[in-house]
Amino acid sequence: MSEILTISNLNKSFGSKKVLHDVSLTVETGHIVGLVGPNGAGKSTIMKTILGLINYQSGDIKINGQVVSPTSHQALSKVGALIEYPGLYPFLSGWDHLRLFADGDNRLEHMQDIVSKLKMDGYIKQKAKGYSLGMKQKLGIAMALLNDPDLVILDEPMNGLDPQATKDLRDLILDEAKDGKTFLISSHILSELEKLAQDLLIIDHGSIIRQTTMSELLASGGSFIDLQTSDDQAARQALQAAGFELTNDASLRVVLTDSDDNAMTNVLGTLNNAGLTVKDVKHEEGSLESSLLDLLAHDQDQVKE
Amino acid sequence: MLTLVRQELFKLIKKRSTWITTIIMLVTQIGLAIWAKTTPKVLDPRAVFDQQFFGVVWYLFFLIAAAASIITMEFQYGTIKEVLYRKYYRGEIMVSKWLTLFIYSLYWVVLSWVVSMLLRAVLFADKIDLGAKVANGNTVLMDSIQQTAASFLTLWLLLSLVLLLANLFKNSAVAVSVGIVGYFVTQTLASILTMLIHKWAWLKWNPLTMLFYPSQLSSYDMYHAMTKLTNVQMFCGNVVYIAIFLGLGYWIFKKRSV
Repeated sequence: MSEILTISNLNKSFGSKKVLHDVSLTVETGHIVGLVGPNGAGKSTIMKTILGLINYQSGDIKINGQVVSPTSHQALSKVGALIEYPGLYPFLSGWDHLRLFADGDNRLEHMQDIVSKLKMDGYIKQKAKGYSLGMKQKLGIAMALLNDPDLVILDEPMNGLDPQATKDLRDLILDEAKDGKTFLISSHILSELEKLAQDLLIIDHGSIIRQTTMSELLASGGSFIDLQTSDDQAARQALQAAGFELTNDASLRVVLTDSDDNAMTNVLGTLNNAGLTVKDVKHEEGSLESSLLDLLAHDQDQVKE
Repeated sequence: MLTLVRQELFKLIKKRSTWITTIIMLVTQIGLAIWAKTTPKVLDPRAVFDQQFFGVVWYLFFLIAAAASIITMEFQYGTIKEVLYRKYYRGEIMVSKWLTLFIYSLYWVVLSWVVSMLLRAVLFADKIDLGAKVANGNTVLMDSIQQTAASFLTLWLLLSLVLLLANLFKNSAVAVSVGIVGYFVTQTLASILTMLIHKWAWLKWNPLTMLFYPSQLSSYDMYHAMTKLTNVQMFCGNVVYIAIFLGLGYWIFKKRSV
């Protein structure tokens, strides 16, 4: 499996403010990669740099092995993108927008397919000035998929989409990825990324703090058992005496390890033996949210040291 | 490049303003011609014909607005991102917009001229003789063509400045205002320019002087006394300033972060 996108040692400053610090990353061909991080971390900046929309001080960007720079754009012919909000001409219809940017008439057949999958047929011939936020967003995504790109870069694509549209888009991305397209998606909607992304790039304060797979990150997050009992203090003591690890916060939360197959039975057994009543129990698998927040908090601590 | 120009023309044709402004100009030209025909004492047909029945004033405004908006609309609508991330270089995109504007300006100039010729043929064939001689030795027809061509050059001096300002400020208001003021100010500043050029000879090379090129072709002695430039010098001056303004606009567009 080759790499469709490689960035090496990318540095970018706006005036005296440095926003990207020695960023290096790779995106494997045919993968769906999620780019996550807090607001202002540099996600949009990285995407705009890849697309030649902004200049950068130093670094190397290669798409399909070809160098991309402000003076070298050929490799971008195989890239589609939607950055921030979709730019649309209010006096053109959705279909006009697709015709405008399509490279050759044969592309339009594929476009009709995408329009149908995104359920835009009803309004694609209307002028864009009458579109709602969700309609504009869908058109922006359709424009990113025009001309059959190898690499699709999407910045917050689920923005403004209703639940049905979110599902339609997710299905479309998964379909297109099966055909070999590579996706780089930045999103704050972690539940969606969990369903889509195979790989993750985590960025904070302009640096990539982790490049990993989704399954690895979720596994590292750990799973827990949350409890409510008749006497949480006594329960805590009993569980700790029995050798369970508990979290340090106020809630009663048992940390599970991988080797703990009978954890639930043992926890409940321990509490029963201590004469305590269990009012509520919840088994929580590692989620992207918890793994990510843990990682970012850890990164913040490192920054402070 | 052909694809880019095709795309720009597509956008232009789809804008309603393109067609509404065409109708406005045609209606004004026809209206003024009829008015001059019915009341020749109030509106001298020959004077109005020389102005192409005010077609020139209209297309000047429309083209200044079009030049500003061909740049600023991309920033205003956010479409600049879509336009720039494709395989074309920034330079190519800028040049395609110049070419589109050039084609559009030819459209207006030719339309206005042809309509004014048609109106003359229909309404004033007996009053305005195309073969008659004018002061500088040209026939009326030749003079009309020469004036139109010279005005086309100075029009592009204004448009290149508007394109530069539109690139600089990403906002139509400044670019359009300067373009329109630039057109009117020449008429009012003629006397001031005469004084200034008299005092500092090198000032004669300033861009405002170049805008008098069509007038000087028509009445050499009167305007040469002010500009102190020959016709050839004025022609070259126009071309050089157009190149400078377009070049600056091109450079700004290439460097800009989007």
